[in-house]
Amino acid sequence: MASSVHFKNDEAVDFVIVGSGSAGGILAKELSTAGFDVVVFEQGPYRKAADFHHDELATIFGEELLNGIPGNGQTFRDDPNKKAVMPQGRTPVRYAQTVGGSSVHFTANFWRFRELDFKERSLLGSISGTNFADWPISYEELEPYYTKVDWDIGVSGAPGPFDAPRSKPFPMPPLPIKSSGVLLERGAKKLGLHAQVQPLAILSQPHNGRPGCIKCGYCMFFGCEVNAKSSTLAAMIPLAEASGHCEIRAESAVFRVETDAKGRASEVLYYDPAGKERSQKARAVILSANGAETARLLLMSASAQHPDGLANSSGFVGRNLMFNAHQVTQGVFEHQLNDYKGAQVSRMVHDFYENDEKRGFYGGGGIDSRPLWSATPILHAMQGMPPDVPNWGAQFKDEMAHNFTRQLCFIGGTTSLALDRNNITLDPESTDQWGRPAIRLTYRDHDDDLAVAKFLQDRSMELLDAAGAEKSWRRPIELSTGGEHLLGTCRMGDDPATSVVSRDHRSHDIPNLFICDGSSFVTSGRGQPTMTIMALAFRAADKIRAAATALDI
Amino acid sequence: MNNKKDLSRRRFLQSAGAIGGTAWLRIGAPALASIAQAACTAKEAGAPFALLGEAEAADFAAIAARIIPTSNTPGATEAGVIHFFDRAFADERSGSLNPARDGLAELNATLRNGTRFADLDTTKQDAVLGTIENSAFFNLMRVMTIFGFFAMSSYGGNKDNVAWDLIGFEGHHGAWEYPFGYYDAEVHGGSVDGE
Repeated sequence: MASSVHFKNDEAVDFVIVGSGSAGGILAKELSTAGFDVVVFEQGPYRKAADFHHDELATIFGEELLNGIPGNGQTFRDDPNKKAVMPQGRTPVRYAQTVGGSSVHFTANFWRFRELDFKERSLLGSISGTNFADWPISYEELEPYYTKVDWDIGVSGAPGPFDAPRSKPFPMPPLPIKSSGVLLERGAKKLGLHAQVQPLAILSQPHNGRPGCIKCGYCMFFGCEVNAKSSTLAAMIPLAEASGHCEIRAESAVFRVETDAKGRASEVLYYDPAGKERSQKARAVILSANGAETARLLLMSASAQHPDGLANSSGFVGRNLMFNAHQVTQGVFEHQLNDYKGAQVSRMVHDFYENDEKRGFYGGGGIDSRPLWSATPILHAMQGMPPDVPNWGAQFKDEMAHNFTRQLCFIGGTTSLALDRNNITLDPESTDQWGRPAIRLTYRDHDDDLAVAKFLQDRSMELLDAAGAEKSWRRPIELSTGGEHLLGTCRMGDDPATSVVSRDHRSHDIPNLFICDGSSFVTSGRGQPTMTIMALAFRAADKIRAAATALDI
Repeated sequence: MNNKKDLSRRRFLQSAGAIGGTAWLRIGAPALASIAQAACTAKEAGAPFALLGEAEAADFAAIAARIIPTSNTPGATEAGVIHFFDRAFADERSGSLNPARDGLAELNATLRNGTRFADLDTTKQDAVLGTIENSAFFNLMRVMTIFGFFAMSSYGGNKDNVAWDLIGFEGHHGAWEYPFGYYDAEVHGGSVDGE
């Protein structure tokens, strides 16, 4: 399970990368195969395909891949004037703690952003009370890296009517359509909308030495037991390790980035698997720990020189957190779908992607069709039942039994606006299992985020009717109490006063500190961020490699 | 129960927040692993219960049997859900034993003349549970019944996968072939039985 190369703690490696997920795994592969010595820190264990299983109770309800500790040492509040508390229920910010990060347990919906996502502030104007802004880069600049994700990571799919231009076709066809996809197509056709193939980071056929999907159905929340899901664990980490220049240090939790007298990052401090404090010296440090952990680490690294946290002269570290609001509708059909088989999503509708002034609020999003909670039995019983049925007793049982194979969800992911009030800070009292200050989440969706979710829900209900659902219902749209998409907390930008990293992911304040993950986002996109995180990582790797080669770090 | 619709609507609204964080019984992965291990060990040893006494086991089993009742199809009883309860209670990390015992004691205290819940007929049992269906204790019983019923049988319940058979879930053994269902069969050809 351990990497074959071991670097000495007190000799500086070329790069320390904190985080082995969607961005960290790519940066590790790109830099190590270019000959740089890299140590990757991952706080979770080094699980591989053979370690993944179909135990719903442990994986979904025990949150095994998240850490397996209820609450995971985090606190939440919906108002900065309140005291944050550790929730009784789910962990507030949810990301997999395992080598490969959340690319291991995600559902693998994988669409590209469109041109407009990068320049909406210019297109639409400012939105008062928000930090709505353009990205410093365009779709055109990122396009070659989206293509690299398609081919190097492995994306199956087919072009849709609204897609941004692509320089190369998909490397493989989509997975076959499921019943949920057929029904979305049926509904969309009736309403004059366009159901299109859902691109997936799941191989439909063998690619780059990995096998195609076996259609077991355990994608959402689960790790893939055959490496058909295109996690960085499956697609990148093995190549990084094979380079002989990359060491993965799992179960190692970084708690501080140290800077030297010249104001440069010099080493990271971490707890090793035995809980002992260690340090690793490095010539440069890259943070790819996700939008919550990257912000926490920077805030924890405060010093006399950097009293508000590292790379935080702007005060933007931890701010502008965006989750992507969402909505869920459910429908039961006459015949069996058995949609628990196979990857979750096969079709989506992007007719409502763009902003439309006439709606009276900012935003847009996609709708897709999937089993969601009816993919596994416990989730179905806990979350999938219609509102007019008692939640125990004979009718409960009969309805569960009848609906499980006949049910689907049309769900929508949406824009979230960047706000000062939505942020990651250090909890002043609580700590996590390592004794680090707890991640304190403060979040309250913007009214427009909820409005666009409601708008997509109304459209989804119409689609369910048009698809012929015998019964359909909507989940009430509620304020977020947590999220999986951790975006915006160290945004990229050209102005050091209003951003944390440059367009090339170099922190404005510390020349040899780079940040690349969901925290780099300036806007939220429309609900599926991971492909863009990965494209940014390939691009960042190019920029960092060039800078290192030019001795400009 | 003539206001059942209103009640269930209210419960739905409560549980709707669950995916975002209010009502999940959080056991934690290490405790779950040991519950599964204990269940396997107990099965091998043929032990009745690791922790529960006979009377309280009968009460908990009776509650579970009203949450997922037996009809012409198997319910919590046939699935052996009580064995899941037993293993979960036995692991203190689950934190469920004391709330469950306290809740049961309170419930039995509302019955007359030392009657226990398990002694009531099922109509009376439903009526009694109807009066506490919004309580934390009932929610714990409900969640544990669902977990025990549907979790892998290595956790102690779902005996012979009766729960999965009930809902038409063909188990989790792996690779499926298209068509999966009725509607995609129109595209892929073939047909799907089981209607």
